[in-house]
Amino acid sequence: MRPGGDTTAALRGAAERRWAVLAGIWVVLIAAPFWLPLVHGYTSLGSRILVLGLAAMSVNFLIGFTGVVSFGHAAYFGLGVYGAGMMLRYVTASTPLALVAGILLGGGAGVVVGAMICRSRGIYFAMITIAFEQIFYYIAYKWDSVTGGYDGLRGFQRAPIHFGLFTLDIKHSDLAFYYFVLVVFAIVAGVMGFLLRSPFGRTLLAIRENERRARFLGIAVDLHIWLSFSISAFCIGAAGALYAMVNNFSDPSSLYFDLSGDLVIMAVMGGIRSFWGPLLGAAIFEVLQDYISSRTVNWLFFIGLVFVIVVMFFPRGLLGMFQRRRAA
Amino acid sequence: MVAREPARPLGRRRVLQAGAALGAVGAAQITSPFIVKALGEEPVKLGLVDPLTGVYSVLATSEVEGARLAVEQINKKGGVMGRELQLLVEDSANDVGTGVQKIRKLIDQDHVTVTYGDVNSGIAYAISQVAAEKGVLHIVPGGHTDPITGKDCSWNVFRICNTTAMDANAISSLLIKKFGKRWYFITPDYAYGQTLQAAFIKNLEAVGGTYVAELLPLATSDFSASLIKAKAFKPNVLLNNMGGLAQIDCMKQFIEFGMAKDMALGGALYEIESVLAVPREAQAGWWDMEWWWDQPGVPHVKEFVDAIVARTKKPASARHWFGYVGVNAAALAIEKAKSLKAIDLAHALAGMELPPEVALQPGKVYFRTEDHELMPNVFTGEVHPPPAGDPYNIFKVAELVPAEKADPLASTGCHMKFPS
Repeated sequence: MRPGGDTTAALRGAAERRWAVLAGIWVVLIAAPFWLPLVHGYTSLGSRILVLGLAAMSVNFLIGFTGVVSFGHAAYFGLGVYGAGMMLRYVTASTPLALVAGILLGGGAGVVVGAMICRSRGIYFAMITIAFEQIFYYIAYKWDSVTGGYDGLRGFQRAPIHFGLFTLDIKHSDLAFYYFVLVVFAIVAGVMGFLLRSPFGRTLLAIRENERRARFLGIAVDLHIWLSFSISAFCIGAAGALYAMVNNFSDPSSLYFDLSGDLVIMAVMGGIRSFWGPLLGAAIFEVLQDYISSRTVNWLFFIGLVFVIVVMFFPRGLLGMFQRRRAA
Repeated sequence: MVAREPARPLGRRRVLQAGAALGAVGAAQITSPFIVKALGEEPVKLGLVDPLTGVYSVLATSEVEGARLAVEQINKKGGVMGRELQLLVEDSANDVGTGVQKIRKLIDQDHVTVTYGDVNSGIAYAISQVAAEKGVLHIVPGGHTDPITGKDCSWNVFRICNTTAMDANAISSLLIKKFGKRWYFITPDYAYGQTLQAAFIKNLEAVGGTYVAELLPLATSDFSASLIKAKAFKPNVLLNNMGGLAQIDCMKQFIEFGMAKDMALGGALYEIESVLAVPREAQAGWWDMEWWWDQPGVPHVKEFVDAIVARTKKPASARHWFGYVGVNAAALAIEKAKSLKAIDLAHALAGMELPPEVALQPGKVYFRTEDHELMPNVFTGEVHPPPAGDPYNIFKVAELVPAEKADPLASTGCHMKFPS
């Protein structure tokens, strides 16, 4: 809010700035394969950051924009991984079908679990999400003949995509694969962004800000939390499906609560009140791990240190800090 | 709404921003500057991915130390093809996704000639698949699951440690002869444990023995339920097939339960790193060592052991030897092929016999052409507490079982195909 200024002009200025920021983000992402090598990076690291960033953004749809904390979202990520992996391994070597299978398996499980738990709140909600995650983890761990058990599901590879006139060879070209991931990322992030700007998204924010007041206003709070949980599960399922193609491998650690914790850390580091924050958090997390773990085995200490610093000094996360400064 | 802060000349945020900027400059300082080098000066790079953090960290660290020793020795003698060797080490954090990422980094960014890893069989699988996609020679120093050189074998993948079948077959008859035919298994529930247990059971059933088998998650730390069942079953031998920290926990609880007087201990692997981490009472039983440091009269062994002890202040273990052989094998292959191409190196390694200063044991040690598995000896014998003043002396070798005898070729299931 700007005291004493022309409100329309201020709004237009804010909108222009938003578009500029958005354009900046996309330029950075599209050009990543070209500037990454200049800073000791490499294309497949970019793909991994996009995938984990998408996962963290999906978790943040729930945490940051609905106000419910899930520590079990790796379950739907991991189901996405297995959905894509099993489609490629057992059914057909088709990348789009694998993506669909991952989204449906992760999202479908999210719909079912969400319906069961959407009436719980706070610590109970978080605990139940972990419990369900452990169930999925042990299914993947124990069902050797289908999932490959602890050793993981092997023997599949992402397949080139045929567009009729030309073929996108994501199997052999890391560059082509990066852009494939970026397109999927754009679509899923676009859906989330669109939903958050819709009346539905505003309702979620209202629930986050004051659940009791939202209930008094006649909003079906449990239903909205269920929907938000399900949407977030579908989106993280897409991230999982991409992750299966990044690794050409599925294993139960992608369903383990360690990963849920990492995703929450990414979201909090980047800023849970900002849409793009979790992507920044994922980038910092992955780059720190990639660089520091090549130099010392105590790299987890440094990630912990950065996290503590962020939480102590930037409680709204790194992007949250910038937003706050602009607002002030 | 956001509360406004009073303006301060040097606020906390400004200090932090300055700190971040300084940090960025500092980071730029510690990363190496970009310098153009002539190709002859470029070192030949080897990339090792191992779980330096997590349950296998101790074993992984030993592999890295062994590999580093080999690199130093080779460079002292002038490197390979006149070029220096360089070892790049990455932490897989015992996670497949991280391991795959690190192997890509080593291949795409660092352009390594040979890749290595991982102690965890699952990661070893996944990264050898990446190496195959990228057409890079991959050596598995210490991931035991059979299919790596069995039904899933690949032209670019070689392995140094034994298969589970080798380890089980080498010790089975000894356990039956010494203790009897009633066994109780405590086995980790993943491919390594399952194939190991299956090999043991096959040998036991062949002589009409009986058993009960308990399959537990890899990272189990409480074994009380299984140990109570074992006590009730009254086996002759308890086969503890767990690995790393889990095996150590199981051993400790076995002693606390006072079971040492009721049954013997035994099994495939009880690595020296683990033996040294358990109480004296649990330093017992009949086991395999995949390499053993105390081999009086065998040439070159003492020099290697002394070098490792001097570097690490720890006894030389099979894991040190795996890392050492891995680097030496690559160097020998490069010299033999006079090439850095994976396909030439693979042809050079297939069937290659290791010289005595690398083999470090009696007999012929070679990479079997048909499945790319190294054929050393399995050292079977008894683990015992160290006598006073000799802390690393915890194993007495009973027999050296040649690997060909323990795991005949017909049973591996590998059909090796080179690209045309």
